Amino acid sequence: MAEAVTKKAPSNKATVTLTIDGRSVTVDKGTTVLEAARSLGIHVPTFCWHPKLKSVGSCRMCYVEIEKMPKLQVSCATEAMDGMVVATDSDLVKQGRRAVIEFILMNHPLDCPTCDQGGECQLQDLTFAHAIDDSRFAFQKERFVEDGSVSTFDDVQIGPEIMLNRNRCIQCYKCVRANKEAFGEFDLGAFERGNITEINAAPGRQVDNPFSGNLAEICPVGALTGMDWRYKIRVWLTKTVSSICPFTASGVNTLMYMDETKNRIYRTTSRRNDEIDDGWLSNVSRYAYQVVHADDRLLTPFIRRDGKQVEATWDEALDLIAKRLSDIQDQKGCVCIGGLVSPRLDNATLYGFNKLMRHVIGTNNVDYRTEYRMLPQTPEDHYQAACSQPIRISDVDDSDVIVVFGSDMLKEHPNLYLRIRKAFNFGAARIFILNPYSTKASDVAELEMVYHAGMDEVALGAVCLTAVEKGIVSSDETDRLREAIAFDSASAAALACGLEPDHLELMARAMAEARKVTFLAGEIISRSREREPIAAAICNLNRLFSINTKGQFGILPGHSNSRGAHHLGLAPDPPASIKAKLRSLWGQYPDTETNTTDSMMVQMRKEEIDGLIIMGANPVMLYPDRAFARESLEKLDFLVVSDLFETETTELADVVLPLSSWAEYTGDYVNLEGRVQTASKAIHPIGDSRPGYAIVEAIADRLENTLYTAEDYRRDEIDTMLEVDTACPVPNLYVPSKGGQDEDDAEYPIALMIGDDPHHRGHYTEKSASLTSHVGEAYLELSPDLAAGHEIKEGDSVRIESPVGKVVLPARISEHIRNDIVFVPRNFPSAPVTSLLMRKRRIDRVRISKVVR
Amino acid sequence: MLAEESIALIKEKAAKYPERKSAILPALTVAYRQVGHLNDELYSEISEIIRVPAVEIAEAATFYTMFPKHPVGKYLIQVCHNISCALLGADSLIGYLEEKLEIKKGETTSDNLFTLVTVECLGSCCTAPMMQINQDYYENLTRERVDEILEELRTRA
Amino acid sequence: MSFYSPVRTNASEVAESDRLHLLKYAEDPNQCSIDTYVQRGGYGAWRKALTSMKPEEVITAIKDSGLRGRGGAGFPTGMKWGFVPKDSPKPRYLICNADESEPGTCKDRVIMERDPHAMIEGMAIAAYAIGSHLMFVYIRGEFAHCADQVEKAMNEAYAQGQLGKNIHGSGYDLDMIVHTGGGAYICGEETALLNSLEGLRGMSRIRPPFPAVAGLYGCPTIVNNVESLASVPHIINRGADWYRSLGTEKSAGSKLFSLSGHIKQPGNYEVELGFSLKTLIYDPKYGGGILDDKKLKGVIPGGASTPLLTPDMIEVGLDYESLPEKGSMLGSGAVIVFHEETCIVWVIQRLIHFFRHESCGKCTPCHEGTAWLEKLINRVESGKGEEGDIEKIDDICSNILGRTVCPLGDAAVMPIQSAIELYRDEWEHHIRHGKCLVKSQFGLK
Ligand SMILES: Cc1cc2nc3c(=O)[nH]c(=O)nc-3n(C[C@H](O)[C@H](O)[C@H](O)COP(=O)(O)O)c2cc1C
Ligand code: SF4
Ligand code: FES
Repeated sequence: MAEAVTKKAPSNKATVTLTIDGRSVTVDKGTTVLEAARSLGIHVPTFCWHPKLKSVGSCRMCYVEIEKMPKLQVSCATEAMDGMVVATDSDLVKQGRRAVIEFILMNHPLDCPTCDQGGECQLQDLTFAHAIDDSRFAFQKERFVEDGSVSTFDDVQIGPEIMLNRNRCIQCYKCVRANKEAFGEFDLGAFERGNITEINAAPGRQVDNPFSGNLAEICPVGALTGMDWRYKIRVWLTKTVSSICPFTASGVNTLMYMDETKNRIYRTTSRRNDEIDDGWLSNVSRYAYQVVHADDRLLTPFIRRDGKQVEATWDEALDLIAKRLSDIQDQKGCVCIGGLVSPRLDNATLYGFNKLMRHVIGTNNVDYRTEYRMLPQTPEDHYQAACSQPIRISDVDDSDVIVVFGSDMLKEHPNLYLRIRKAFNFGAARIFILNPYSTKASDVAELEMVYHAGMDEVALGAVCLTAVEKGIVSSDETDRLREAIAFDSASAAALACGLEPDHLELMARAMAEARKVTFLAGEIISRSREREPIAAAICNLNRLFSINTKGQFGILPGHSNSRGAHHLGLAPDPPASIKAKLRSLWGQYPDTETNTTDSMMVQMRKEEIDGLIIMGANPVMLYPDRAFARESLEKLDFLVVSDLFETETTELADVVLPLSSWAEYTGDYVNLEGRVQTASKAIHPIGDSRPGYAIVEAIADRLENTLYTAEDYRRDEIDTMLEVDTACPVPNLYVPSKGGQDEDDAEYPIALMIGDDPHHRGHYTEKSASLTSHVGEAYLELSPDLAAGHEIKEGDSVRIESPVGKVVLPARISEHIRNDIVFVPRNFPSAPVTSLLMRKRRIDRVRISKVVR
Repeated sequence: MLAEESIALIKEKAAKYPERKSAILPALTVAYRQVGHLNDELYSEISEIIRVPAVEIAEAATFYTMFPKHPVGKYLIQVCHNISCALLGADSLIGYLEEKLEIKKGETTSDNLFTLVTVECLGSCCTAPMMQINQDYYENLTRERVDEILEELRTRA
Repeated sequence: MSFYSPVRTNASEVAESDRLHLLKYAEDPNQCSIDTYVQRGGYGAWRKALTSMKPEEVITAIKDSGLRGRGGAGFPTGMKWGFVPKDSPKPRYLICNADESEPGTCKDRVIMERDPHAMIEGMAIAAYAIGSHLMFVYIRGEFAHCADQVEKAMNEAYAQGQLGKNIHGSGYDLDMIVHTGGGAYICGEETALLNSLEGLRGMSRIRPPFPAVAGLYGCPTIVNNVESLASVPHIINRGADWYRSLGTEKSAGSKLFSLSGHIKQPGNYEVELGFSLKTLIYDPKYGGGILDDKKLKGVIPGGASTPLLTPDMIEVGLDYESLPEKGSMLGSGAVIVFHEETCIVWVIQRLIHFFRHESCGKCTPCHEGTAWLEKLINRVESGKGEEGDIEKIDDICSNILGRTVCPLGDAAVMPIQSAIELYRDEWEHHIRHGKCLVKSQFGLK
């Protein structure tokens, strides 16, 4: 399979050679005996060990015998040494492990028939493997019972999705360790001590952090189980299918558990891929499968008749589409047709969509970035360059300086967020964050610098100027840099964006001295109208600190196939190399005007675009100016929308086509690193829905222009597109990076930031019951001071007004946010935050007031 | 619930340590001495003062046995029943206290004056038997001495 | 609060001796004041080390003195200090272990109550030797009065410039923190102590890494017992050779022994290592014999975690080599004596209750094993034991011994196994007859 971007990490570590069960093995120095044994395929049982957590050596299940050591050793915490001779199955080892199981079973309830872990319980399996069939323990077992509990099984629900049975707990502490160490979360703890130690939710809290689903997955017994799966099906009755998460740009690897007879997915677990996810799933990735089975999925096509959408057959729908599109083409020309597509869709769908629009219809009105405001029509040089830089997720691990710029990592790239935590915990990386508002990652940051909203490029310019002024880096192009930044001095720039000169110096020094830097920018930047100057500032910073020669930098794509959409040419005006390839594949490439989502909307209003096909996207909900998007689409003569659900956009459509989800057909996706990964078909399409690629191919057929004359061609053409020559070059000179600023508006003093909630991504995840059980409605996040100034208390209803709209939301007071900014998640249709936004603004500003009843 | 002085004391102690978390035990000690016991509310108060997640404070607090987690009497009588004291009659001493106070071990007198508990070795083995009441040690105990002590505490109360 | 335990000591003997030294001023309350302490030569060793010795020279002196840890494990102190990596860029820490929770032990307390400056001076010298600028004393939480005493002494030391910045003009800075625990025996174990001092639950850590390499906050850390550290100034003052001449060939120096239980004169006594256990128990200068002149039944020689000795074994030197020859250990120097009317199963029941209660809950054999043992031993003690229980207890002990993260597991089972071996008849009587042999013999209830 093509890997679009390759980057090799060399390994020249010292090694040691040892003998395990008579076989010799050579491993990196620092490897544990346990991992050395596993590398030989020798299974050493464990309870407390976890490959991504620090070894604690507490369960004592992984005993081995090592020559010259009189006692049994725990292999999980013993470093492999040259010349060691290890036995993993001597009589003493077996005796030791049996004794451990006997101890564990002592107070274990042995309630296997009623335990949901059955079939995947490590304790059950190891008891069986050690042929233990009797207990020498003849006393009443210790038992935790909730005060006033009537439950037969001593279960306590400790979070929206987590059930705890303390009696089954074997005190491996993996849950608490993972929660704190890997996730940085503090809603679960171990209390009391000795053999009555109990795992439980933190006092007065629920275990509901964005990674909490992992806790049930890693619990080796039935002490922590997931509510979504509990008592629904036994694990051995399910079949597992490899998939990837459709909501993360990293393409987190997953396994879906499905029942063929019921055509149903019952849960998702990790399919550990150390290069990408380390085996952790955010709750969004874990519970996304429920979107597939949401009971309001579109099951058939609909056609608008007499103003009403009525059920139709595929034939009727496709005929109508073909007829109307041909009409528009004939009467007004192909430039009057446009297409918008979601970058969450697979390669075959995206490529087919492109070919349908550009080759079959012949229009250049194609875009996949429907959630952005005011994209420029021409290729954005620096933005494109910064977006296409090679990033390798696993390279975060050994970076010694990590800079996060304009991104709330936890919400946007949860697994990268965990990776950064890991680099901090294990690699002692120094982490710097530059954001317009404080984010959760700040607890591992050496420095979090919060700049005034809208001053992104100035903040980076200030870092550069500081480095130059303080002689931290030397450059013979200093003048050019100054000119590009359009600020005379570091202090002036720092002052303008509200940052401390000392902090900038600290960060500049760290970057200059680092051995390996990872610099990541994200959504907060991508969504700005001023992407281009910000990207230019990133390129300048890269040049000054030579980041790309000793590490990596880039603006991270936001969606699961954004990279694919780019490589497959779905931008309005793709880079020349991509156009050239398309031209050679198709024999032609349209030379008509190119239009972005925004400029298409402008044209719709002028009735210059009459027909539009939308696939998987919901601009009415997510375009940052809801009224503008809606009014534009309303002007269309003919709108086709294909989606999983009825949405704000399908409501306007003349034809609605039911789209299959990623779980219903096999598709490939290109992750943010450029890695092509496959999500296999887990179940048959729900209802009469069809995969996106099948829909575009069917439309092409009806237009009497078959997309592929043979099945193989589709794959071949896509493979050709994905064989890309890595990244767009970064500019080899300093480039101007001054953006425009909005005028102040005293009436609307507070900057409004929108983004994802950690438990939701885009407009689908609201259909997952497990995710809405964590966060079910929108909210307004504001600082304690701002709240106090408006006499707002946690949970109060707050009116948020912009010059164009108004919404009312409950308040959530957060220590993490500055006084001049508020945050609202964009994931809830019932709270249309995009109605507050204006597409021509750089930063949206609002005023707030408490709703008094 | 924490008094101004307690908060100030906690802050003063916390400032000395290279890492914030180290202030957990000192903070619990201050809180316990002021309130007489610990509870979830105090954990969150301490959490705010020393800026450590409340769960870490609760985890630590429940690990250590010196701090009662429920209200106790004004005087917490902690009688050592470990080996050296036991050899010299700790059990009969406990029985005597139960009789005198008319409570069983683990209980509090109805006037909320005394709570009687047993504890492990308090490092007073060469002056056994012994008990600790709140922070004070009482050693080389006899029944007569116990009578005196209780009397004294009653009058002091 | 200036509280003074009424415990008996052999201070007068020590005062007259040229060899004993730890308890010399133990009966003089003025010793706690820094002025008196300094008048008597106190902080002289600190000044000497700081101004005329290199850190390596201090370490060499301690190595040469033969001082071994007095906290229980008996590890050579100088050697331990030498393990601190020379080239680590991290800060180093010295911790004085004043958790004193081993049942039977109350000797560190005497030092803190009656000679706190000796401990602080020893700590300072140790800190200097390992290059530490911040030292801690971890005092068990129940010893509130000791913490007060030490804190008072510390403040005096700061005021007099023995601690703080640029001490004695040497350019050396040293700070000290008094930290109190919260009631947990396990926190005396050095890795659990580190966790506790970091604010975590006091659970032991796996080794390696050893604290000397990665201890407190992941930095090189030395943990030493109060008595070990209080011995250091004497060594620096009088020389390694002098110290080495005390005690025996392999067990140099003198040590405090806490004598408790069925003994006429319980107390803390300083004697040279190698001193006869029998003399300690019977000599009128020390124990003065068994309470009520009853017959001796057994001795726990080194704190609750050491194997028992029967009366025929007590002609033994109290040192690091002789006790192991008798199957026991010097431990913390807590000698617990019990007479003929004591039921051995009852003694063990007390101990296992303690160890079960104090298990931190980290490793399976310890937290589950001690709980099971307690249940079984309770059953035997109460006369409800079953045939095979003794073997089962012994077997469970073997499944704990040497299989736990920290030595608490070993500590819990060693006395049990020795009690079964040495007094098996009593265990069997409990099981076979459903009652206690001793009680029947002596007509007790
Ligand atoms: C369960 C357990 C409890 C311990 N308790 C104490 C203690 O209370 N005081 C002490 O000094 N050492 C105690 N130790 C020994 C310490 O781990 C450590 O070895 C000692 O403090 C080192 O000091 P030293 O070398 O000066 O003896 C204990 C060890 C174990 C395993
Ligand atoms: S709840 Fe599960 S994961 Fe957590 S400590 Fe218990 S057995 Fe381990
Ligand atoms: S896996 Fe090694 S001790 Fe638990």
